[in-house]
Amino acid sequence: MLIKQLSIFIPNKKGSLSELTDILIAHNIDIRAIAVFDTAEFGILRIVVDDPDSALDILNREGVVAKVSKVIAVEPEDRPGSLNQIFTILKNADINIDYVYSFIMRKKEMPYIVIKADQQEKAVEELTAHGINVINKEEIYSK
Amino acid sequence: MIDGKIWSREETFEREEFERIQLERLKKTVERVYQNVPYYKDKLKEAGIEPGDIKTLGDLASIPFTEKDDFRKNYPFGLFASPRKEIVRFHASSGTTGKPTVVGYTKKDMDIWSELIARIVTMAGVTDEDTAQIAFGYGLFTGAFGLHQGLEKVGAAVIPMSSGNTQKQIMIMQDFGTTALICTPSYALHMAEVAREMGVDPKKDLKLKWGLFGGEGSTEGMRNEINERWGLFATENYGMSELMGPGVSGECKALRGMHISEDHFIPEIIDPNTGKVLGEGETGELVITTITKEALPILRYRTKDITSLHYEKCDCGRTTVRMSKIQGRSDDMLILGGVNVFPSQIEDVLLGIEGIGPHYQIKVFKKGYLDKIEVDVELVDADLLDSFALLERLNDKIRNQLRTVLGIEAKVNLVEPRSLARFEGKAKRVIDMREVK
Repeated sequence: MLIKQLSIFIPNKKGSLSELTDILIAHNIDIRAIAVFDTAEFGILRIVVDDPDSALDILNREGVVAKVSKVIAVEPEDRPGSLNQIFTILKNADINIDYVYSFIMRKKEMPYIVIKADQQEKAVEELTAHGINVINKEEIYSK
Repeated sequence: MIDGKIWSREETFEREEFERIQLERLKKTVERVYQNVPYYKDKLKEAGIEPGDIKTLGDLASIPFTEKDDFRKNYPFGLFASPRKEIVRFHASSGTTGKPTVVGYTKKDMDIWSELIARIVTMAGVTDEDTAQIAFGYGLFTGAFGLHQGLEKVGAAVIPMSSGNTQKQIMIMQDFGTTALICTPSYALHMAEVAREMGVDPKKDLKLKWGLFGGEGSTEGMRNEINERWGLFATENYGMSELMGPGVSGECKALRGMHISEDHFIPEIIDPNTGKVLGEGETGELVITTITKEALPILRYRTKDITSLHYEKCDCGRTTVRMSKIQGRSDDMLILGGVNVFPSQIEDVLLGIEGIGPHYQIKVFKKGYLDKIEVDVELVDADLLDSFALLERLNDKIRNQLRTVLGIEAKVNLVEPRSLARFEGKAKRVIDMREVK
């Protein structure tokens, strides 16, 4: 049930992001979710794309340091407290969350969120057992 | 004509007199190393030279060069020509491979060192009326102790402050009535800043007259700024531990270059690429042969410093040859706050760390008046992208190793792979932005 995300090293300089998106556009790679985590010195860009493996190839060929890793995509219900519910399930199962970011939302789509946890398989089990909709990769990539 | 005392008669010898003494002492030095230093004996034999072959000063050019690497190969005492019993002092400077360059002195070497320092401090204006504050670090480096003994010899009252603790430096200057400041030019500028922050106006509150600067190169711009800020008269002096330490040469008040004590050193200028000896006034690498040293006589040492030699008599009355301000280095050694660092040392540190590529760029610049260094390295290990902690750990590791191995505090920038310049032939990995004036 895990989906693939790309982690990309971005130097802290003007234009780093657009250089990356230029590369992805040129190869018709579509970004589904995006988040940037940065410090004063450098940043890590995390994206979910429609074709992570070929995106990695392309980026590596362009000299970009990138890595494919697995994360969980879940679909919280559209009501107050639904994120709290997800985080509580994980807390009760003694699972740590490394980071969270959300999908780019489009009309009528539910706001998926991406979770990176320390015990991912267990997290998926726990969430599913509690009735949370964990999105599988086919659903993500084919959107 | 510039007035001022000349410390010793030898500084005004006629050229023929210098040449006579130099030849006599060169012969003795070659004989001494041939008999006492197996490494030199082999080296001379290999070049087909016996001590008896040195008949004129021109024969010096047939002797092989000595380089910093020869010190490394002979660490620690292999080049010494005196037995341990006769050594009374050791000093050392940083080496290219972590091992320092060790130098030693006999009692006679110490006497000559003091004498030569007495000459340069006298030509810089210092007399027995002066109070001299030494703000070089006391320790293995030759700077502080070298100046110390020569200043005492001329009768100046020496304050052995050592470097650092800048506010206290200023306080002592004020309270003791320091008239001569001895340090690196960049530290002098930094101290001036601190003095200003403390509300001390050097021109009104201090009695400084002379500044004797060395340990690193400086520009005319820096000199003017030091003179202006401190209200003193700045001169520069030159030396290196392999040759003796400070005292090889120094500027007189005429500021027409640094007078080399030719009765103790024979200078040559060579083309750094071919090794060919160049003529008077031509710019090239300074090569020095010591001709009076007992413990560590050195033949044709390649200083890597780029300068030129000028023989016409100076306005100060001295006839010793003058070397112009150092214009650069023929290797890529960096002097960072008085510490010698080779880019190759930085490279060694970087190559030992996993996760980064072999390419790097070193940027050196001034922050205030202090040297700052930044090292750009390429991140190659994508696995570190899992978390910030991993990347930051890598960054810290590089910084810590540079500090431990080289004693420098560097800022480390991780950059994308293939983003740093690649070089064909000699790499230019250092961007030195310090020379703005």
